[in-house]
Amino acid sequence: MSALAAALSQVSETTARLSRLSQRAFQNPYTSVEWPSTLEPERDWFSTPEYVSLHGTPMWTGLDEAARRRLAFHEAAGFYSLNIHGEKALMQGLAARLYRSDLTDRTGYLHHFLDEENKHSIYFGGFCTRYARVYRSRQPLFGTERERDVADFLFFATTLIFEEIVDRYNRVQARDRRLHPLARFINDNHHREEARHLVFGRRVVSAMWTAGAPHWTGSTIDEIRDDLARFLTATWREYYHPDVYADAGLDDPWELAESAWAAPAQRAHRRKVSAGCLEFLTSVGVLVQEPVDAF
Amino acid sequence: MRSEADIRAALHAFVQRHANDFPLTDDTPLFTLRVLRSVHLPELILLLERLRAGPIDVEQLQPGDFASIDVIVRRFGAVS
Repeated sequence: MSALAAALSQVSETTARLSRLSQRAFQNPYTSVEWPSTLEPERDWFSTPEYVSLHGTPMWTGLDEAARRRLAFHEAAGFYSLNIHGEKALMQGLAARLYRSDLTDRTGYLHHFLDEENKHSIYFGGFCTRYARVYRSRQPLFGTERERDVADFLFFATTLIFEEIVDRYNRVQARDRRLHPLARFINDNHHREEARHLVFGRRVVSAMWTAGAPHWTGSTIDEIRDDLARFLTATWREYYHPDVYADAGLDDPWELAESAWAAPAQRAHRRKVSAGCLEFLTSVGVLVQEPVDAF
Repeated sequence: MRSEADIRAALHAFVQRHANDFPLTDDTPLFTLRVLRSVHLPELILLLERLRAGPIDVEQLQPGDFASIDVIVRRFGAVS
C-alpha cells in the first residue's frame, strides 16, 4: 500500500466529515458575488497596508497615501495571481491522484478539494481579469522525478505550506474594515473554504510522514527537508513581485524586490506569518530546523 | 543589464550556495547530478531576471535551459 493510501485510510473519519461540510457549503461562484463595474485603486484599500510587501521599508515611508493605496491594489492582484498559479498546480496534482489505482476507494474528499480550488480561481481570476491582470509566476511547469511516495508527500506538504501562508493573509484581510467590500469578500470566502483544506492538509501530511519516513533513506529525508525549505522561500519570493511594483509606478522594480525582501521589517513579517505552519511541521518531525533562507 | 562576467559570477555564487562542497565548473551538469533541483528554479529565475533587468517567460522554459552554467549564460545572458 502506498503511503498516501495508508494516510487516507487513517484519516477517513476526518475526510468523511469534511466531505459533509463541503456539500453543505457548496456554492456557485458565478452568482455569489456582484462585480462592480469599476474600482478606484487610489481611493480604496484592496490589501491590508501592514501586509503590503513594502511596509516597514524606506520606500513605503516615502510614498504618499494615494501611492500606497495604488500599490496595495496591484498587490491584491498579485496575491490573487499567486493563488491562481498555486491552485493550478494543486488542481493538476489532485487530478493526477483521482482514481489512481491505489486510491480508487479513497478519492471522495479529493473531488471536493479539486472542485473548491477551481471555484477559488474563478474569484481570483474574476478580479484580476476585470480590474488588473494575472501576474506571472516563476514556478516552472516541470519538476524533478521522484519515487511515488516521496512525490505524494512533497505534493501535500508543499500544498500545506502554500495554503497556510495564504490563509493568514485571507484571515487578516477578511476582517480588515478598511478594505473595499469586494476584497474582504474574496479573502473571507477563501478563508472559509481553506479552513477545511488546512484540517485535511495537516492530518494527511502527518499521516504520510508517519507511514513513509521510516522507509526513506537519510539522504532522501534530507532532500525532502531541503525541498520544503526551498519551496517556502520560493513561495515567499512571489509576494515581492517586480511586475506589481512596475504597475504601481515604482522605479527599478527588480532591485526594489530585492531590497524589500532583505528589509528587517519584511523578514520579521515572513517569520511571523510562517510560524504556525513551521511549528506544525516541526512538531510532527518533518522539519528539524527553521528554513533560514526564507527569513 | 550586467556583463556576462557579472552574470556568470552571480550564477556561480548561487549554485555554490546550494552545492555544499561539490566541485563546480561552468559545464557541470547541474540537474543531472542533482546539484540543483526544480525547487531551486524560482529563485534562480528571479536572480536571472534581476541580472538582465528583463522578464523571463516561465511558460516557455524547458528543463534543458538550465543544464549548466554555460547553458544558462547562453540562454539567458541577454534580454531577447
